Amino acid sequence: MADRLKGKVAVVTGAGRGLGRCHALALAAEGAKLVINDLGGAVDGSGAAKGPADEVVEEIKKMGGEAVANYDSVTTFQAGENIVKTAVDSFGRIDILVNNAGVLRDRMVFNMSHEEWDTVIKVHLYGHFNTTKNACVVMRQQKSGRIINTSSAAGLGNMGQANYSAAKEGIVGFTRTVAIDMGRYGVTCNAIRPLAGTRMTLTPELFDAWKKRGMSEEQIRGMFPGPEDVSPMVVFLCTDEAANINGRTFDVGGGNIGLYTEPENFRSIFKAGMFTLDEVCNLIPKTLARGLQNPSPPAPPKE
Amino acid sequence: MGERLKGKVAVVTGAGRGIGRGHAILFASEGAKVVVNDLGGAADGSGASKGPADEVVDEIKKAGGEAIASYESVATPEGGENIIKAAIDTFGRLDILVNNAGVLRDRMVFNMTEEEWDTVMKVHLYGTFNCSKPAAVIFRQQRGGRIVNTSSTSGLGNRGQANYAAAKEGITGLTRTLARDLGRYGVTANAIRPAAATRMTVSPEMEAARKKRQETGQPTPAYDITALSPDAIAPLAVFLCTDEAANINGCSFFARIGQISLMTDPAIWRSIHKDGRWTVDELCDIVPRSLAVGLVNPSPPEPPKE
Repeated sequence: MADRLKGKVAVVTGAGRGLGRCHALALAAEGAKLVINDLGGAVDGSGAAKGPADEVVEEIKKMGGEAVANYDSVTTFQAGENIVKTAVDSFGRIDILVNNAGVLRDRMVFNMSHEEWDTVIKVHLYGHFNTTKNACVVMRQQKSGRIINTSSAAGLGNMGQANYSAAKEGIVGFTRTVAIDMGRYGVTCNAIRPLAGTRMTLTPELFDAWKKRGMSEEQIRGMFPGPEDVSPMVVFLCTDEAANINGRTFDVGGGNIGLYTEPENFRSIFKAGMFTLDEVCNLIPKTLARGLQNPSPPAPPKE
Repeated sequence: MGERLKGKVAVVTGAGRGIGRGHAILFASEGAKVVVNDLGGAADGSGASKGPADEVVDEIKKAGGEAIASYESVATPEGGENIIKAAIDTFGRLDILVNNAGVLRDRMVFNMTEEEWDTVMKVHLYGTFNCSKPAAVIFRQQRGGRIVNTSSTSGLGNRGQANYAAAKEGITGLTRTLARDLGRYGVTANAIRPAAATRMTVSPEMEAARKKRQETGQPTPAYDITALSPDAIAPLAVFLCTDEAANINGCSFFARIGQISLMTDPAIWRSIHKDGRWTVDELCDIVPRSLAVGLVNPSPPEPPKE
C-alpha cells in the first residue's frame, strides 16, 4: 500500500459500485481511511440495501485499510450532515470528499414527469450541496481539504437528459463557486466529466440501440473504458501537488485526461449606448451567428 | 408599433420589474400578445403582490399592445402549468417562452442554509423546467416555438453564490438539452447571461452611491453595474425569437448595454494520453508540467498569521 494520503480521511458517496467503488479503493490504496456511502439502490434511484457499501468496506479491510459504511441517501440535508459526521466520529476529521452518487431517469423533455426531473436534481445537485456544505464547515476549520465533484459531458447537452444535463452542469457552477469560497482556507474543489462503463451507462436501452446498428455486445462494451481508469486522476487531485488546481473541470476516461476551458466571450459586437432592435436583427446574423449550426435541425416536412 | 412578432403569443416570467419588464414591453411593442407573469415578491423571494405584473400590463396597454397578468410562482409544477395555460386560455396559442424569474439568497457555502439553497434552486432551475416542459408539449405539437432562458456570468463562479451559480449553470445545461430535444420540431432554446442594474443586482448602498454621483455631476463608470440599463437585454431576446434566428439553437450569449457576445461552451483544451491506466505517480509527475501549467488558484490560501 502506498502512502500519499496516509492519515487522511475520505468520504466517497455512491461508493458501493461503479466509479465510486473504484475511487474508494484507489484512495484506500494510498493510505486514506474511508467512509463508504451508498444507499444501495437501483440505477433509477429506487430501493435500498446495505450490501453494496458493506462489500466495499470488506474489500478495503482485506487489503489492510480502514473503512466504515454509511447507508444514507444524499438527497437530504440531514443525510449530508450525517455522512460528514460519520467521518468525524469514526476517524476524527474529513480531508477528502468525493461526490459521486448519481441516478438516471432519461426522458425526452416533453414527456418528462416532475418526479423524473426532481429525482435526478435531488440526487446529483442537491446531493452535492448537502455533503459539501457540511464538509466545508469542517474543512474551513482545518484550513485544508479536497472536494472532487462528478459532472458529465452530458452537461454540454444530450438528447433525453434534460434533468441530468441540468444537474451535471449545475454541479460545474457549484464547483467553481465552492472553489472561490473555500480556496483561501486551503481547500480545492474541482470536477470531473468521466467516461466509463458502469451500470448507469451500460443500460439495456443502450445495448438495444447499438445492437440495432449491428454491434456486438463486446464491441459495445469496448466503447466504454473501465471505471478504474478514472480514479487515478481523482487521487491526484487530492494530493499536495494539485494545490494550485482549484475550480477546474477535467475530462477523464480510458487513458485520456483533458482540462476543460471555461465559457468566455467568443464573438462580440459593441456600441456606445444601447443597441436598437433594428441594429441587433441586422447585425447578429452577419456577425455573431455566422456559420452557427443547429445541433438538432428541424425534420423536413413529410411528403 | 413594430411587427416582428405580430400574431405571436409570449410568456415572460418575472416580468413585473427589471430585465423581465424590459422583455415584456419590447415583445409587446413588436406585436406580441404577452402574458406578464410575476409573483410580485421581494428580491429574496418572500411575499407576493399583484402590483408589479398589473403595472406592466397597464404600460403595455397604454402603448397600444395586448397583455394579461399572471401572478403564479414558477417554483411549482402547477404554477408553471398555470402560466402556460393562461396563454392558451386567453390568446389561444403560445409561441415564445422567456424564463426570467429569479431571486437571490447569497451566503458563503459553509454558512448556506438548506432553505437558502432550496429557494434559489426552486425559482431559477425548477422554475425554468416547470414552464419549459408544458411549453415544450405545445411547441412540439405545433412544430414551432422559442425558448429564451436566463443564465448568469455568476455560473462561471462567484463568491457567496453557490446556490445561484449552481442554478444558473444548471439552466445552461438544461438549455443545451432543450435545444437538442426540441430542435427537430422547429423550436430553438438559447440562454442569455445578462449584466444589468436591477433590484437583484444593485444593493441600496450601490444605488445611494450612484445617486450621489448624479447629484455631484460625476459620471458613473461604464463598468459599474448601476450604469447598465435592464432594458438592454430585450433586443437580443426578441431577435432570438424571430425566424432569422432559426439556426441559433443551444447557444449562450452575454448581453449588457452596448455589448452582445456569443459565448463558448466548455471544451477540452489541453490533454494527455496513455495507452493503458495512469498511475498516481505518473500523474503527480506529468500533470503539474502539462495540464496544470500556469493554472492560478482563483482564491489562494491566506498566508499563516504571524
